[in-house]
Amino acid sequence: MSYVYTVARLRGMENNLLDAGFFSRLMDSPGIEEALRALGETSYSQWLSQSNNNFDKAIDAEMLATCEELAQFVPDRELLTIFRMPYDFHNVKVLLKGLFKVRGGDSEGRRYDLLSKLGTINTDELTEAVETEEYGFLPYGLTDLIPQCWTLWDQTKNAQAVELIIDHGMFKAMLKVAEDLNIPDVINWVKFKIDAENLRSAIRLARMKYDANKALTFFHDGGNIRADDMAKLLNEPQETWSRILSHTDIGKVLSALNEAGDLKIALSEVTKSLDEYLVKVLESAKYSMDAPANVLLYLLTKEAETRNMRVALVCVAGGLDREFGRRLLSHVG
Amino acid sequence: MELLGLSLALFGAALAAALSGIGSAMGIGIAGGSAAGVMTEDPNKFGSCLILQALPGTQGIYGLLIAFFVLNKLGLLGGAGAVALNWNQGLQIFASCLPIAIVGWISAIWQGRTSAASIQMISKKPEAMGKAIILPAMVETYAVLALLTSILMLMGVQVG
Repeated sequence: MSYVYTVARLRGMENNLLDAGFFSRLMDSPGIEEALRALGETSYSQWLSQSNNNFDKAIDAEMLATCEELAQFVPDRELLTIFRMPYDFHNVKVLLKGLFKVRGGDSEGRRYDLLSKLGTINTDELTEAVETEEYGFLPYGLTDLIPQCWTLWDQTKNAQAVELIIDHGMFKAMLKVAEDLNIPDVINWVKFKIDAENLRSAIRLARMKYDANKALTFFHDGGNIRADDMAKLLNEPQETWSRILSHTDIGKVLSALNEAGDLKIALSEVTKSLDEYLVKVLESAKYSMDAPANVLLYLLTKEAETRNMRVALVCVAGGLDREFGRRLLSHVG
Repeated sequence: MELLGLSLALFGAALAAALSGIGSAMGIGIAGGSAAGVMTEDPNKFGSCLILQALPGTQGIYGLLIAFFVLNKLGLLGGAGAVALNWNQGLQIFASCLPIAIVGWISAIWQGRTSAASIQMISKKPEAMGKAIILPAMVETYAVLALLTSILMLMGVQVG
């Protein structure tokens, strides 16, 4: 299949994406029954009935179905791999953390329910590989990465440090796949994603008043901004970050940070702004009838839709403050 | 030398029909890929897609028209026998065929790309069909100009 066909089909599929009006209606639902009834009018309905009205499963099933549908006609499968790879690394984290707990004496430590089917590696095969320590067939450098995780765990018993090296491995693998694809928009997007993650880490560390000299390990290499430059941000007052990063594209996102004085609010606001920014980075592809980046753009837009769906339904089901929920909704699509 | 003139003229006619035909086939193919993508999601857009897909096909017709024009000028249609041509006249006819051959070939491909983009446009905004036709039609202008140039040049060539 050509990208002309692919992008045209994606344009058709975009018509089925849910708009802001739908989410507003969902948020206004008096209860979860009404919200699920509204959901029943969408493409999610088939998954709702299959999952016995478990909206969490229905949302995952919709995203998985989207990935599988795209896999049938997207010329470069690696575009889907880049999108799905973080779910593989998430699954590795879940499995390793479970095994750490089991080895620590908690026989109920395994959390298979947290595994995502959105990864490219079958969850059963991944589970078996991790539990039997047969990593030979695993892609994306996991063959070497998982033993490193075990070594680190045995030495430090620090799950956060293990998570960090998994994240380092993930971004390295994503960048490699993007560079092998050799599509400039996609390579840039991966670099922006690394910058975004580094910025998120910087904000979290600033909230914890973390020592900048010890923070370098929290930042990932490969982005447009060097990891040690990101670490140096921690030496500066947070309100000056947007000025320091003003020469970078991601510096624009920090205006949200300046507007929100409280760091706790800033984290959620910036996380949302960064997610929206990662979609906007690819939006120039919208004006091309055959740009491969449109595939990634569609997937991110769909992912934002599922995220919005989860936020709205959790708000309605839990009777949470609807205004707070509305603020968390992404404005993409 | 008489045969060289006739050969040159026929070569020109062949180029006009072949190059613009190849361009049209490529343009229609590009637009067709886009149309197939849109119709996979919404088969009701067949009518609009077909119109837009057909637009790059006109260059092939223009090329064919010029080829007929040349064959008629050479007396090869109707069984009357070929007119006598010197190499200079043959070269003039060959040159007359070049505008539609080259412009037809390239413009059809670009018109196909524009049509493909317009098909994607009507996928999202079906009400913009009028505008969607105008965009690829702008590319058509230059194919029409090339056709006119070829016709005017051919009319100016004196044979027989």
